Amino acid sequence: MSSLIAIGAAVAVFTGIGAGIGIGLATGKAAESIARQPEAESKIRSTLLLGCALAEATAIYGFVIGLLIIILLG
Amino acid sequence: MEELNCKIMFTIPVGDGLPIYESVVVTWIVMAVLVLLSIILVRNLKVENPGKKQLALEAGYLFFRNFFYNLLGEHGARYIPYMITIVLYIGLANIMGVFGFVPPTKDMGVTIALALMSIILIEYSGIHQKGTKGWLKSFAEPIPIMLPINILEIGIRPLSLCMRLFGNVLGSYVVMKLVEIICPILLPVPFNLYFDFFDGFIQAYVFVFLTSLFISEAVE
Repeated sequence: MSSLIAIGAAVAVFTGIGAGIGIGLATGKAAESIARQPEAESKIRSTLLLGCALAEATAIYGFVIGLLIIILLG
Repeated sequence: MEELNCKIMFTIPVGDGLPIYESVVVTWIVMAVLVLLSIILVRNLKVENPGKKQLALEAGYLFFRNFFYNLLGEHGARYIPYMITIVLYIGLANIMGVFGFVPPTKDMGVTIALALMSIILIEYSGIHQKGTKGWLKSFAEPIPIMLPINILEIGIRPLSLCMRLFGNVLGSYVVMKLVEIICPILLPVPFNLYFDFFDGFIQAYVFVFLTSLFISEAVE
């Protein structure tokens, strides 16, 4: 039973894939746009930070769910 | 696993005993710091020849005010003091880990309360701006098919606000504890800088940014 719970928590952590892809895409685009318009760097950086924090949220949800599975079932 | 639960600091002997959690005590400390700072900083303010302290205070206030004014717009400007209070509280609460306290935002109760306050303010600002009828009508905009989604949003918005803050702070707390087990001296310093300062401020920023975004949407 406990191994099943561990597998369930591990599956919940798969949300990290989406966050990784999202942050990677956002950072790549930000680097591209800074190369194109270096004078807009401060604006791009603040938008990038916000976008990264929002994209990271999905990974955090996965972490919380994994933790809840372990705490409530284990 | 015991580290994840919020500890009970002491119990007030009322009835069956009222437990006081660690997060409440740390919140009192944050409150004391903020109240003391606001008492000390606003003493001896002058219109003529302002001192260095007053200039710094005014610059800081204007920075926050302009930031929120750009987000909230003219109609939402009356909520600026609330937003500044929230960003100061969350910002200070998230870096409490540096001073050896447990950050109160690690307790889910604190983040649930913050998110509930946010959603109540968002809906209140809509009612205040449009009247009850206009507020009810705004659920069916832009097209009536959106009605169930708009109603669902009342529940989803505070849930995502609450879980984002809680999960980030808890995650950084767990990582910090693991790093401290590996090597208790010197190694945690860069991690501390990233997780407590950078991540804490980013999360405070995201929380107030999203709340003010929703308010500006509600008062439009």
